[in-house]
Amino acid sequence: MPSRERGAATLLALFLCQGLSVLPSIAKPALRVGAIPDQNPERLNRLYGQLADELSERLKVTVRYVPVSNYPATVSAFRTGGLDLVWFGGLTGVQARLQTPGAKVLAQRDIDARFRSVFIANTAADLQPIQSINGLTSLRGKRFTFGSESSTSGRLMPQHFLAKAGVSPSQFSGGRAGFSGSHDATIALVQSGAYQAGALNEQVWTSALKQGRVNTDKVTVIWRTPEYVDYHWVARPDLDQHFGSGFTTRLQRAILAIQPSTPRQTTILELFAAKRFIPADSSQYKAIETVGRELGKIR
Amino acid sequence: MARLRPSAPALALLPALALLPVLITVLAALHDGGVEIWTAFLSAAVHPSLDPVLLKALFSALQVTLAMALAGWSLSLVLGVLLGCCASERLMQTWHWPTWPATILRRSLALPRSVHELIWGLLLLQVLGLHPWVAVAAITIPYAALVARVWRDQLEALDPTRLQALLKGGAPPLAACFTALSPAMGTVLMSYGGYRLECALRSATLLGVFGLGGLGTDLQLSLQSLQFRELWSGLWLLGGVSVLLETLLTLWRRRSPEAKAGQRRLGLFLVFVIGAGIAGGLWLQVLLPDSGSVVWQGMGWPDWRRLTQAAADLPWLRLIVETLLLTVLAAGIAIGLPPLAIVMAPSRLWQIMLNAVWALVRLIPPPLTVLLLLLSNRPTLAIGALALGLHNGGVMGRLLREELEQQSVHQQQAMHASGASARLSWLYGLFTPRSSGYLAYGAYRTDVILRETVVVGLIGGSGLGWQLLESLSSFHWDAVLVLVGAYALITLLGEWLSDRCRTRWLQS
Repeated sequence: MPSRERGAATLLALFLCQGLSVLPSIAKPALRVGAIPDQNPERLNRLYGQLADELSERLKVTVRYVPVSNYPATVSAFRTGGLDLVWFGGLTGVQARLQTPGAKVLAQRDIDARFRSVFIANTAADLQPIQSINGLTSLRGKRFTFGSESSTSGRLMPQHFLAKAGVSPSQFSGGRAGFSGSHDATIALVQSGAYQAGALNEQVWTSALKQGRVNTDKVTVIWRTPEYVDYHWVARPDLDQHFGSGFTTRLQRAILAIQPSTPRQTTILELFAAKRFIPADSSQYKAIETVGRELGKIR
Repeated sequence: MARLRPSAPALALLPALALLPVLITVLAALHDGGVEIWTAFLSAAVHPSLDPVLLKALFSALQVTLAMALAGWSLSLVLGVLLGCCASERLMQTWHWPTWPATILRRSLALPRSVHELIWGLLLLQVLGLHPWVAVAAITIPYAALVARVWRDQLEALDPTRLQALLKGGAPPLAACFTALSPAMGTVLMSYGGYRLECALRSATLLGVFGLGGLGTDLQLSLQSLQFRELWSGLWLLGGVSVLLETLLTLWRRRSPEAKAGQRRLGLFLVFVIGAGIAGGLWLQVLLPDSGSVVWQGMGWPDWRRLTQAAADLPWLRLIVETLLLTVLAAGIAIGLPPLAIVMAPSRLWQIMLNAVWALVRLIPPPLTVLLLLLSNRPTLAIGALALGLHNGGVMGRLLREELEQQSVHQQQAMHASGASARLSWLYGLFTPRSSGYLAYGAYRTDVILRETVVVGLIGGSGLGWQLLESLSSFHWDAVLVLVGAYALITLLGEWLSDRCRTRWLQS
């Protein structure tokens, strides 16, 4: 064979060989931790970097944080095994568990059992504080935005309470609600006046207030929703097979054992805006599932 | 009476009329509420975050994006050329094979091409899981089909006499094809192939914005939480790499290929393509060592009754009208704005500034532009059209520059010397000879814009794109399938229309 053709054949062979890299790697399995993207990435990276170190030390396995920038992608990655342990919101957690039979709820924060959303309004929009749920009717005809389309506190529960008051998204200005994509963006868009009102996670609102990121002359809270359950840790059903029997239980214990005792654990809890983690059970999320089905977000 | 027929330069400038309704809507809704945020955004441009932890994360994310782009580009080019050859009736005739399989292949390639890489990415994510190769596949599938189409069209468009002469002389078909077709096709491969690499980098970034990893993910997360300084660190990084890549490719294209050197260059290019694929694949493996294996997770066949039910639930008229309106307005801006901007002040300094602006807008993924524009405006369709139009205007602006650089300046100088204003001599001396080629690109860009409407659907939840993302986030597969089908159908119709326009403009 002339040298040129030989060269071409070698190149072609090399090229076809790259398909091999798709084959499973023989490396030791790592516990892949993910989270729905409800905070800024710098915070997420810091938080989950610390958490990965903590869990890795306690459980003696490699732990890697995998950033995902969109809610449904997190659910799919959990179902297909790309993520082993995920910090889900209420709705995404239910979606993930319905799609991944056998997935286990491990824990929630102390604040998650009694979570709330806030409705905020631009001060120029002429919206008065709302006393009872029926007051939400004053939002009809206004420009209104939710957060991410799969967010429990930024979309699902606010839409549920709006529906209870007889307000449907088609009654907002423009015939529908906007979707800012995140809680922080909702604050910014309502404060700027792009939207006259919006709904978001109360915890994000409170911490934005504390950090002075909100101009209270321009945007105020007009209503706090009733309580509901939100965020929770969910683990894939096959962790015991990959990491040894009893691993899921050890993982749960490791999460629950995070107390403000060491500097790292204190930082983790601070970044999670929690005092501690508490055990959680899937039955707590039945109500979220019902609401999800009513609004067509769960099929 | 002679039919009134607009001249080519007028045709290229007319689309800018789309700016009128868009600007009227946007300006009327402009408010100063976003001033603080805009100031913060702009001042962050000169004070990007230099936090070493962040920079390290961004740098590794950039590598993931680059590796995805390289692997996807290489695979799509190789596959596309092979498919393009198989879909060419002329090649089939050379071997005396029946031509109908080629025709069938050509027509069926329209389907993968008509679905945007983002939709491919989101669908593949469902069946393959979150794996770096999902993004690579998402780029490869539509790109390979696109390359195949261009390759096949070029093969058919070549002058067949040389090939026929060689065949008549008794040369074996393979050798005849290589000898007769490779000089021209090599040039096509190198210039078009190089251009695809830029597109692949943009696509890989966009896929990241929707959660498939890499720098796009970080950009999206930073913007969502309004961390502008972190956002700018990522944007500068991406900008540096894109400008470097574009400059290298332009230099590569500009060197005139001589016969002998041309062959060597073609060989070099092929080695580079294949090397890029291998390097990209290995790079991904090194960067994300424990991403596991790709496992097919079947989804079960949809049943017809549920599909029709899902189709009946959707407000089709509104969705389609919005999508088309978005496309027309955005395409008008993208095609009309670049020449209009130059005509307004054809000075050297202004053009340098324009080039910088175009580089910036084609760099920032459109969903990011939408959120930024929205901060000082109201949610309207016009905002989406403006964001999409500006992004694609960035691409058209660069194409226009390259077209004009190939045009000799003699006519322009002659007109200017004989007393025409700078503006008129630019318009008739430089732009007019090139305007039909520019318009042909514009028609092709319109197809791209139609597919891209999916990425700006978020604002005010408009169009098919928004509905598709909403159905995906509800895991409502029947609706997703129906919507993807509708998207493909509209895109194919649009493609057919723009093809007809292009042939007409190129003839005139």
